[in-house]
Amino acid sequence: MAGFRLIDVVKPFLPLLPEVEIPYEKVPFDDKIVYTIIAALIYIFGQVPLAGVSKDESTVKDPIYFLRGVFAAEPKTLMEFGIFPLICSGLIMQLSAALRLIKVNFKLQHDRELFQSLTKMFALLQYFVLTNIFIVSGYYGENLTIVQIGLLNVQLVGAGLVAILLSEIIDKGFGFASGNMTIETVVIATNLVSDTLGIAQIKVDEEGNTEARGSLINLFQGLRSSNKTFLGGIISSFNRDYLPNLNTTFVVLAIGAAICYLQCLRVELPIRSTKARGLNNVYPIRLLHTGALPVVFGYVLLTIIHLIAFVLIQCIARNDPSSIICKIFGHYESVNNLLYAPTFPLSLLTPPRSFANGLLSQPLTFVVFSAFMLFNAIWFASKWQAISGSSARDLAVQFKEQGITLVGHREQSVARELGKVVPVASTTGAAILTVASVGGEFLGLKGKAAAMVIGVTSAFSLLEIISVDYQQSGGQSALAQVLGAPGRF
Amino acid sequence: MAKPVEKSENNQIDKLAEAPLEFVKEGSQFLNKCKKPDTKEYVKIVRAVGIGFVSVGVIGYAIKLIHIPIRYLIV
Amino acid sequence: MNTNYNNNIYPLNQLRSIMSAATPPGGQRTLQKRRQAQNAKEKQLKQTPASTRQAGHGGSSNSILKVYTDEANGLRVDPLVVLFLAVGFIFSVVALHVVAKVTGKIF
Repeated sequence: MAGFRLIDVVKPFLPLLPEVEIPYEKVPFDDKIVYTIIAALIYIFGQVPLAGVSKDESTVKDPIYFLRGVFAAEPKTLMEFGIFPLICSGLIMQLSAALRLIKVNFKLQHDRELFQSLTKMFALLQYFVLTNIFIVSGYYGENLTIVQIGLLNVQLVGAGLVAILLSEIIDKGFGFASGNMTIETVVIATNLVSDTLGIAQIKVDEEGNTEARGSLINLFQGLRSSNKTFLGGIISSFNRDYLPNLNTTFVVLAIGAAICYLQCLRVELPIRSTKARGLNNVYPIRLLHTGALPVVFGYVLLTIIHLIAFVLIQCIARNDPSSIICKIFGHYESVNNLLYAPTFPLSLLTPPRSFANGLLSQPLTFVVFSAFMLFNAIWFASKWQAISGSSARDLAVQFKEQGITLVGHREQSVARELGKVVPVASTTGAAILTVASVGGEFLGLKGKAAAMVIGVTSAFSLLEIISVDYQQSGGQSALAQVLGAPGRF
Repeated sequence: MAKPVEKSENNQIDKLAEAPLEFVKEGSQFLNKCKKPDTKEYVKIVRAVGIGFVSVGVIGYAIKLIHIPIRYLIV
Repeated sequence: MNTNYNNNIYPLNQLRSIMSAATPPGGQRTLQKRRQAQNAKEKQLKQTPASTRQAGHGGSSNSILKVYTDEANGLRVDPLVVLFLAVGFIFSVVALHVVAKVTGKIF
């Protein structure tokens, strides 16, 4: 264990890193719900516009618009980068520790603590770097004063720290299982409601006409609007591309329903108790054994690639199509004065903005983008199922501890039998889930399809933990009684 | 010495070509083994997730509504 | 380390036989030793857990990404304090907007 270890880097910063205390005693079920909801709501409340952004329209538009839904990010607000740094550092750190790229001995408490602090510092560092990439690129306006730059840094890095601590509160046992996934799920659910039922009026043309953000509300408004015909109102509510329309809403809901179906698919292995006779049961191995994580991982890699491209094209080459960097990587074209759409070859990794448009102008994207996502998801799933502590061998150990075994197999061969099922389930599930999200993206949902896939799948993973927690608390929950849902989870 | 190496490389290429096929085969076998939910179970799950998702979303959106006056105040 | 040390102390008769026979390097014995070393390495690799959960301390599971499991050294804060400070931080940004609007310039 001699020599340099990456986790030791964090040591000098330890006294400065805020650390949420672990609860002294087990937090009651109701308190957990309250903590979880409040933490997530504060995150949503944090989507306040940034102060110090230059008032004139910048020519630099949003380059990662199709990734924002997945990482709960809102452009030009405090949550500019959402929880991307959190998820990125969490996934990449844990993966590289498991692949022995970072030396950590998880048996030692000290090492675990250092590793955890390193993950946190890495996330914070990403917030800082991303902030300055966006400042240098001119996204917040050209010619910012030094005060503005300082203010933007304080706001965005501070917001990053807030996001980290909020997720830490949930992680540490004040909430359910995973802060990142809770925040993500809540924000995705909120966005869905806001895209469907949102009543905020947004200016859509020069004359000052406004339309509602929510697609359903827009339909009703369109029906009795003065500046549109009856039919025109209906058609526009299905077709508008500047705000959510009913088509995207329906596709998103269909994806949600499909994920629910996939979530139910499972192989049931018959098990029996080794201690008592006649106690037979089934142990389910889900198709979506690794949940939403493979898709999330694919999107993390995608984001990293796009951010690097953004640095090269915008910060260095200044998006000048004649420069050599832009000739190699492509450049950005402003769309609707809102988004930055990359050109070939970067467009290969950008989902099209509409199906027809994609088919005509960037047909190769369909192949390259899906291949990229599929490969990443499958690779990640095959690694993650082995390292995450729920591999066939770990399950076999659990079986042994609980005194159960597979029917028709001796205790020693349980690991081998599970080993035939678990990896296949993980990779197959990851592939199908990716196909669902990529397929939705190709219809021009700008990240909403992937967000829905991740949101619903994470919701299931969390729901499982919440229901176990609920049962462990003996169903003694005032909240559940108020909601009239005794044991319904 | 050179020959076996070449052979193993060939093998690897073969394996690489076979891997997706193998993967699809294993995957579809697994899917066939899977227990599919019946309509009743499915509807129950969709309803539970739907209610959860929408109620959380509505609570979240209520917070988001606060942003409208704030934006009005500061812009 | 340990095995090397042990290997250096040969029983006297064996040492003599080594001296006389002067076994060339490589061969069956080294191979065997190498295999043993590799086995030991693999075994060790298997024993070192790959994640916090594998070490038996919670953490990420198959479908959950969890980062914070232990209480590390650092600036300890109570969760309630964090919640209040977070709200305070957000309101200070709102206040910043208001100040900027009232003074009519962006600093």
